[in-house]
Amino acid sequence: MGLEIGTNPMDMDAIAARLAADFAAALTDVRVQEPDTVVARCDRAALKDVARRLKAHPEIGYETLNFVAGVDKVRHLESVYHVYSWKTNTYLELHVEVPTAAAEVDTVCDVWPAADWHERESWDMVGIKYLGHPDLRRILLKDDFVGHPLRKDYVDSVENHPHA
Amino acid sequence: MPDQFATPEPDEAVKLALRRIEESTARGEGSDVEGLAFNEVVVNMGPQHPSTHGVLRLVVTLDGELVKDVIPVIGYLHRCKEKLAEKRTYYQYIPIVDRTEYVAGMNCEWGYVMTVEKLAGIRPTRRAEFIRVIMAELNRIASHQVAVGTFTADLAPLGTAMVFYMFRDRENILDLLEEVSGARMMFNYFRFGGLRYDLPDGWVEKCRDLMKRLPKLIDEYESLVQDNAIFLQRCVGKGVITQQDVVDYGITGPCARASGVAHDLRRTRPYSVYPELDFEVCTESHGDVFDRYQVRMDEMRESVKIVEQALDMLPKGPVQLGALRAPYVITPPPGACYTGQENPRGEYGTYIVSDGSRYPYRLKFRDPCFCNLQLFPKLLSGNKIADAVAISGSIDLVLGGIDR
Amino acid sequence: MRYPKLEHFQEPNVITTTADFIFSWARSHSVFPFTYGLACCAIEMLSSGFARFDVARYGMEVFRPTPRQCDLMIVAGTVNEKMAPVLKRLYDQMSEPKWVISMGACATSGGPFYDGYNVVNGVDKIVPVDVYIPGCPPRPEALFQGLLELQVKIQQHKFVAETPKPAALTPAPAAGEEA
Repeated sequence: MGLEIGTNPMDMDAIAARLAADFAAALTDVRVQEPDTVVARCDRAALKDVARRLKAHPEIGYETLNFVAGVDKVRHLESVYHVYSWKTNTYLELHVEVPTAAAEVDTVCDVWPAADWHERESWDMVGIKYLGHPDLRRILLKDDFVGHPLRKDYVDSVENHPHA
Repeated sequence: MPDQFATPEPDEAVKLALRRIEESTARGEGSDVEGLAFNEVVVNMGPQHPSTHGVLRLVVTLDGELVKDVIPVIGYLHRCKEKLAEKRTYYQYIPIVDRTEYVAGMNCEWGYVMTVEKLAGIRPTRRAEFIRVIMAELNRIASHQVAVGTFTADLAPLGTAMVFYMFRDRENILDLLEEVSGARMMFNYFRFGGLRYDLPDGWVEKCRDLMKRLPKLIDEYESLVQDNAIFLQRCVGKGVITQQDVVDYGITGPCARASGVAHDLRRTRPYSVYPELDFEVCTESHGDVFDRYQVRMDEMRESVKIVEQALDMLPKGPVQLGALRAPYVITPPPGACYTGQENPRGEYGTYIVSDGSRYPYRLKFRDPCFCNLQLFPKLLSGNKIADAVAISGSIDLVLGGIDR
Repeated sequence: MRYPKLEHFQEPNVITTTADFIFSWARSHSVFPFTYGLACCAIEMLSSGFARFDVARYGMEVFRPTPRQCDLMIVAGTVNEKMAPVLKRLYDQMSEPKWVISMGACATSGGPFYDGYNVVNGVDKIVPVDVYIPGCPPRPEALFQGLLELQVKIQQHKFVAETPKPAALTPAPAAGEEA
């Protein structure tokens, strides 16, 4: 009845090997995390291209985006993309390192439409700017909130929080 | 605080709505009425509104009764849960996870506890696994009763009998859960490696009794609205979610299953003891409001089956790891882990990054309602405002999860 | 407050009382609550309105979604900085006499989220509260105890001798001024 799940079941190691082979330069540090996730690192500049090719991959098309999370790892920020492949019924966790000083990375909204609000939340909470996003503004906090609370160096301030 | 009797300044969302009207007028789609530049009116629904379930604000651009555009504004219940995770130990955070999707507390706790167990390499006891399934499915029935009850309460403001019947029976389920955990809604029952308490004496018989009565009660609920021509007219064919939407926006749960996508994490990515239980994945084919309602009613019946099987298969043994108590202070090794769990609303995922200390380094919830809500502008545009209320009720939003 | 006894109604009779008594008795037994359920406590407030814990026993089943028609605001749930101006606006839109019940730990003092960067630690920082109901969430029975306390409070209010106050345009007056 249309969308099928698991039409191309593959072994996790086979998936990891296939991704490492097809995306040789762009995806690094490809490893398997049991039971159903492949974890990989992607370069910031190559993200858009890799995203398009991952979605359009003939055997393991990662068509659905689960979430985009911003993580503050003190020395740098990280944008984590968690995508799902209907054909193999597995996940891929893509880590993109973003420098704290110039925290910008390309948006993947045109590849996965679900990224819209997830990227807005990542901008709101961690302060990673997504270039090319149609409407990057705060989503959970009030519009005039100053700062990005999920950064490790965020300090509670009276202007943001007058009724403490 | 600003002067409360003055007209408020338009905020970002309203400014965006006004900008979009200007753009469409500039494109030549303005009004066809003499003397009017454009037909549209920007109206605010919420954040306090009887039909938006919780503090959701919809900035609606209306042309008469027709909804042209919807801009959902969320964050009115943002309680800083992800930041609080960094200040609480893993164990101290369990009661806070309860309050994410507060209608389905057991399921939320299970999602969080499962991720931490995977990170730390803890395997729960077998008896605990079966009791977890029973609690999660009971909570699924209770959650669907709230969801469908409030949905029908929206169609006619508290005028349908259905919501009263459903809440009456929900009290029986909450009685069972209260006997086990001590609380009616915020259970704080799951622990790493098992559960806090074992089932009290006589609980299994009471649960079996209720499971015998429930299928007839579910039939009674359906009989209240199923043949009502007005209900059918308001629900059939409205708010269709296509399979392409499901893929594009990551829609999960009854909203996806009503569109014919058999995505149920209990079957596609099974966890716990679900592989040993026999149940169907309920799907419908049209993806409209009525099908979402039907999927929820069918899921209640399937949950009854699951609970009965789990009660029959319940093994003896401890419900906690360790002689006296479950691990209180755990320090998972550094790493990151994601697990998805089938919440009554969809895939409820927890992504935890650990740095080896007692506190999580980063905790992110993948909330099903957050992802489903993204579809609102597409789903509500082109419908009348009354249909918009019906459609938003059928998506089943819980703002605690959306805003975290 | 002394209610008339049943034997007084057995013959045609004249009952004397004060206007205050009649007004406050009527007002306390027909309170219109405002559905201001924000979070988890809202579900318990809903449960208290339905069959098992029937709030209609106290005359308070008329939950109205618009503040113009209400006299009791039950703040059920966490208030955060984004919601605070909305709360103040809705409170101002209610007409006198009005009362506020702060239901649950979050509305009383921030609750389990007290150290959030966005959470208002207690709704009494924004509106004056009459009754606090602790609990997370408070059981419907606890909500009823709070409603009964509120009834006692309403019955102590002197309506007839009260000088009407001008509608407050600014938040709480500075110390030293008369409220």
